[in-house]
Amino acid sequence: MGGMPGEAKLSHTAAMILQAIHAGQIYGFSVMAMTGLPSGTVYPAMRRLERDGLIVSKWEQQSIADAEQRPPRKYYRLTRTGKATLEAVYKRYPLLEKMIPSPEMDRV
Amino acid sequence: MTLRPLDSLATAIVIAAAQLVPRVDRSDWIAEWRGELWHTAHQASGEICELAGMTPLRFSMGAMQDAFWLRAACISGWAAHALRRGSVARCTMVLLSLAILGLIVCFALPRSRTALFANLYPDARELVVLSSKGQEGTRTPSIHLAEYREWATDTAGLFSQIAFYHPAISALHIPHHATPELSVIVGSSNLLHLLGAMQPGDRTARSQETGRLFLSRSAWQRWYRSDPAIFGRRANVTGQAVVIAGVVPDSEWHLPGRADAWLLEDTAGLDRLAPNAKGFVIARIRDSAFPPPRAGWRWMVQMRHGKLYRYACISLASVSLQPVGEFLMALLLAVLALPATTALPLGDYPLSGEPLRRWLIARRWLFLGSKFLLVAMIVFLWSTAMAFASQPADLSDAAGIEALAAFLPLLIGFRWVLQDQRKRCPVCLCLLSKPARVGQPSCNFLGWSGTELICISGHGLLHIPELPTSWFATQRWLCLDPSWHCLFAEAAATSPESA
Repeated sequence: MGGMPGEAKLSHTAAMILQAIHAGQIYGFSVMAMTGLPSGTVYPAMRRLERDGLIVSKWEQQSIADAEQRPPRKYYRLTRTGKATLEAVYKRYPLLEKMIPSPEMDRV
Repeated sequence: MTLRPLDSLATAIVIAAAQLVPRVDRSDWIAEWRGELWHTAHQASGEICELAGMTPLRFSMGAMQDAFWLRAACISGWAAHALRRGSVARCTMVLLSLAILGLIVCFALPRSRTALFANLYPDARELVVLSSKGQEGTRTPSIHLAEYREWATDTAGLFSQIAFYHPAISALHIPHHATPELSVIVGSSNLLHLLGAMQPGDRTARSQETGRLFLSRSAWQRWYRSDPAIFGRRANVTGQAVVIAGVVPDSEWHLPGRADAWLLEDTAGLDRLAPNAKGFVIARIRDSAFPPPRAGWRWMVQMRHGKLYRYACISLASVSLQPVGEFLMALLLAVLALPATTALPLGDYPLSGEPLRRWLIARRWLFLGSKFLLVAMIVFLWSTAMAFASQPADLSDAAGIEALAAFLPLLIGFRWVLQDQRKRCPVCLCLLSKPARVGQPSCNFLGWSGTELICISGHGLLHIPELPTSWFATQRWLCLDPSWHCLFAEAAATSPESA
């Protein structure tokens, strides 16, 4: 794939995960809950999406986690390439946006 | 911030999986998984977990796949592709590993090592077993002592040495100990020397005193607690006074008859055997006699009373190959029984698209052949190890154990080879995946129902009928043309779904 948005050769599973992150499910467990996919699929797929530059991860600030008395979480968000890829993927999987509505769709 | 005790197993799985993650990413990876696990455990009764149908333990299982993926990503692209699950390379590597492990086990066991890597008797081609019952005579005694006596003097031109032995059960009296019953080989005084089992430097062993008892190493260790001071002492075997002359390693004896000890007698001593006692005769062919035939020869002998007898002289080299012969028999039986356990056709009939190229067909047959070969090799090595590890009395016993131990694994192994081949894509030879049930059972048998499997690289679909009919009796392969490949482009690469 190599991060080429024009090609958009994502499997349906990877597209679902990308859409879930775009829809605001910004950590692994919430992506699992949204997509219904098992952890053994979601986390490796997110690693691949990150490797291909479609998403980036960032650790939550330790102070926030300490204040809530829990371990910090790793959050994911789409990159510009990821967004462009997702736009191209919608053409291939037209129902994707309806399955996992994005914030823009909610506003509409 | 701590996990409940019941979730400690899930944490242990994550920590174990972390060992697969490259060191540079490990701490970050553990932190993420432990954090997510904490949230899973603390929300286990919440709505979010019900949606995902997830328990902490089930959640942690994914850590193993994640860690595997990260490890695989470290390997270069072609290697990761080659070693993905179900690939030819992975299958071959697993089979080769089992074969190598079997070889190591065989090498570690002294008797199987001798049987596989060296001649049981260094000069086995010059040694023959004389038998009056053909091959049966290499397993059961067939020669009377009187016959041996005649040959010992009449065959000097043919044999440089000739020895007789008779397997018996005798009581060994050990002072202040129990009187164990041992399997004693009562033989002529040159028996061990003829076989090369006697150590030339052993002073007691060269002693020509009558009634010399040689103990097997295991009997010496068991009944005399490896006492080195017993050599030269007198002992009592079934009422007969003998001298303990030495110890012979267990791995030195491969002839018929179990041997805990060898009682070597001179001519007069052998006369104590019952007149009708039968035994085995071993002889060494004289160098100048003739080049020894590979398997042996038949021999007509006129006894002193004028009657002609037919004997077989069977080479010890061929006797040494008995386990291999029994394995080959088990192999033949497994091949004959195979059609009764599974269908033989490979069932990959292209319905559409171009026929497979020749080199692809050749590669598929080569893979099938190599799998058969490797399975046979694995079973041979492991059954040999099992046969000799069980301390058989002699080679015949070892051969029998080998045949029994080999037949079922060979049958199961060959069955697996065929079933595995049927589930592989004929183009890339990877295992097909994503089984999907298609259709419903038809009342009039005209509707198709069965299972559909797909090649992850997009080469085609395999349809396996649930109920074979006259118009769809076996599984069929449906080639997909290149226009479908864009759907599989990502899957063909190393991906979590395929890895």
